[in-house]
Amino acid sequence: MIKKILIYFNHKLWRTLFLVGAGVLFAVTLSSLINIESVNLLKQKVALPLQIIYAELIGFISPGPRYILYPILIKLQEFGINIGVIIALISGHVLIEPSTVFVEAGFFGYRFPIKRFVVSLIVTFLAGMLSSVLGNYIW
Amino acid sequence: MVKFIKKLGPDIKIAILLILLSIILMLTFQVNFYNLMSSNKEVIIKIIYLTGVAIAISTAIHFLIPEDLARKHLKNNKLIYLFYATLLGVLTPGPVYAIYPIVLELRRKGVGNAILVAYLTGQTIIGPARAPFEIGFFGLKFYLFRILLALIMGPMAGILFIAFSKFWPDKKIIVA
Repeated sequence: MIKKILIYFNHKLWRTLFLVGAGVLFAVTLSSLINIESVNLLKQKVALPLQIIYAELIGFISPGPRYILYPILIKLQEFGINIGVIIALISGHVLIEPSTVFVEAGFFGYRFPIKRFVVSLIVTFLAGMLSSVLGNYIW
Repeated sequence: MVKFIKKLGPDIKIAILLILLSIILMLTFQVNFYNLMSSNKEVIIKIIYLTGVAIAISTAIHFLIPEDLARKHLKNNKLIYLFYATLLGVLTPGPVYAIYPIVLELRRKGVGNAILVAYLTGQTIIGPARAPFEIGFFGLKFYLFRILLALIMGPMAGILFIAFSKFWPDKKIIVA
């Protein structure tokens, strides 16, 4: 049994590390392009609800595994981005992926992923707004 | 070459695509690779270490939680099961592609689409393998808050799906 577990762990570890490694490379490259001035400008010019909508849309179209977003989120948090925007980015990145839309359309018909997209958009927006309100009390 | 690429798994293809995108970004914006790696050394090491922890957690879940857990507990097609489906989704490890066989099986057994939406929402939003990353980077409070949010978002997604389906019902698809 232990041998079986170790074989499974080993197989999964190297495969995941390759994917995560590539994802982290992409994320740190992308986060190196984000600077404090552009974040401050974004905070001044764009209202919070709109920031949340942008964040979830960016999350929806972002490629790659779930873990790649963390280096970018750390940087955004350091620059003082609202917690609601961070929640919207994390949730948006995983709730709908462009590739899964086609898979779901194939399995359930095209109406299912379209409705799921709209539902995800609303739910993520509400989660982002709730987090931005509660964030001040929790953190 | 094309045959070789076709043979690769989807995760490997995505990894290669991400490496290519990174190279394009570095060349376009003249990012120095050495500086990039050294300035992000701590985050990179932390992510690699946390990946090992996350894989250990998902391996433990793979061997401890039976595969038919979701199938067993989502047989009934009632509204109360939206919450139950979300909770089971949160507990189900693995990438989203890995759970489509479960989702199809549930559909075959007559589980409604709204419950499947709640299950997919719970599964994708958070999971046990994310714990090391989120606790490691943002703290325990953040992770607990995210679990709570997931448990609210899943049933809400199911309820909204039901509401939309009243105006735009799903087409009947026969799942073989």
